[in-house]
Amino acid sequence: MMDRILLFGGIALGALIQLFLPAWPVFGGIKPPVLAAFALYYALHRSPRGMWIAVFWAALLHDGLDLGGFGPALIGFPLIGVLAHRIRLEIFVDGFVTQMVFGALGAMLAMLVAVLLYTATGQRPFHFGYALLRIIGSGLLGMVALPLVSWSMKKLEAALPKRRGYGWQ
Amino acid sequence: MDFRNKKLVYAAAAGLLLVVVFVLPASLSRKGKGAVRGVVAPAERGTAGLGKRLAEAASAIRGIGGAVEENRDLSLDLVRLQAELNSLREAEADNIRLRRAFNFHRQAPHSMIPCDVISRNISGWWNSVRIGKGTADGIADNRAVISPDGLVGKTTEVSKRSCEVLLVCDPACRLSAKIRGKNVFGLVRGVGTNLKGQPIARMDFIDKDTVIRVGDEVVTSGLSGAGGVFPKGVRIGYITATERDRSGLFQNAQLAPSATVSLLDYVFVVSDTVTEVKP
Repeated sequence: MMDRILLFGGIALGALIQLFLPAWPVFGGIKPPVLAAFALYYALHRSPRGMWIAVFWAALLHDGLDLGGFGPALIGFPLIGVLAHRIRLEIFVDGFVTQMVFGALGAMLAMLVAVLLYTATGQRPFHFGYALLRIIGSGLLGMVALPLVSWSMKKLEAALPKRRGYGWQ
Repeated sequence: MDFRNKKLVYAAAAGLLLVVVFVLPASLSRKGKGAVRGVVAPAERGTAGLGKRLAEAASAIRGIGGAVEENRDLSLDLVRLQAELNSLREAEADNIRLRRAFNFHRQAPHSMIPCDVISRNISGWWNSVRIGKGTADGIADNRAVISPDGLVGKTTEVSKRSCEVLLVCDPACRLSAKIRGKNVFGLVRGVGTNLKGQPIARMDFIDKDTVIRVGDEVVTSGLSGAGGVFPKGVRIGYITATERDRSGLFQNAQLAPSATVSLLDYVFVVSDTVTEVKP
């Protein structure tokens, strides 16, 4: 129960942080992918059920708070979630370098999905150089975002009371 | 869950996602977004308020810090007086800012709804801000949003308690404009921001025979479609560069929008009438 509350609360807080963080002009005007990092964190650390709940909650918040139609996160986050979840047992998920690599790859993949979807639906104009800048920029920001999110969530989870089979301790 | 079932679940989820993304009617999509925004809006307002208070506190601390560094030997009374002075300066700055906004609000010939900016765009894909008022406060789609500096943008995706403002520099924001004093019309559309984060817009379809210069002021023409309300004569920005259209039939101009949105914490939404703003 507390784990679920932390999941919903943590991701909602992540959405607020992403809303209030500044956009980075040198990375194509994008914001640090905090919600994508949350989706990845839960994909790397939870059962399929927990992963799906986290991924859809993060995607719903992202697309719900963004302009345009539902889609970029609703497709991108499940995609990165499923891919990360499939190989999570073969990697050291708490390793700093692993998180940097996964953060970068996940954010880049989510951004690529957004670029393709916005271009296909004509919601945003397509410029190759700008799209490339955004994909690379999201990779660099994702490289920082996932380790930070992982560290914060680990600390928060460690602070939660543990259930020992006969109530909350 | 066996492999076959798993495949089925993934296929069903993928199908549902594609339906939601590509087939969902705009009205349903808007309702869904309205629900999400309704849930998050109170937290956004709270965080925006907290951010303002923190900024004010930081400003006061900076003032005290400077005074302490410069006057290490001054007594505690002096520090307290300095803090009071900083607080009064803040209040004075607020007073000037609000007086300016109030005068602007009072002098404007059209009815306007004052709104707080509660957050910015979440992804950075859109140049937009969210304001803390919606249909419940009389705000409709495609209305001009202005500040004492000029046109900020237009309303879009209005929900009950909040509303998105598409900024002038967003590529999806297009509006009819003219160059002040020249009776030359054109179409202004956003280009985005440059690498320094400064907003850029451009004005297309300007008569090729008209002489336009860098620094000319571009204002709204008052012509608008889709049930929009855009008062005449509101400043959009200044021309920073001009060029001849590829076809040779028109000329285009690059604009620097005059409303600096990054510094805004409140804006006004025009609710009705289409009278001209006096320069």
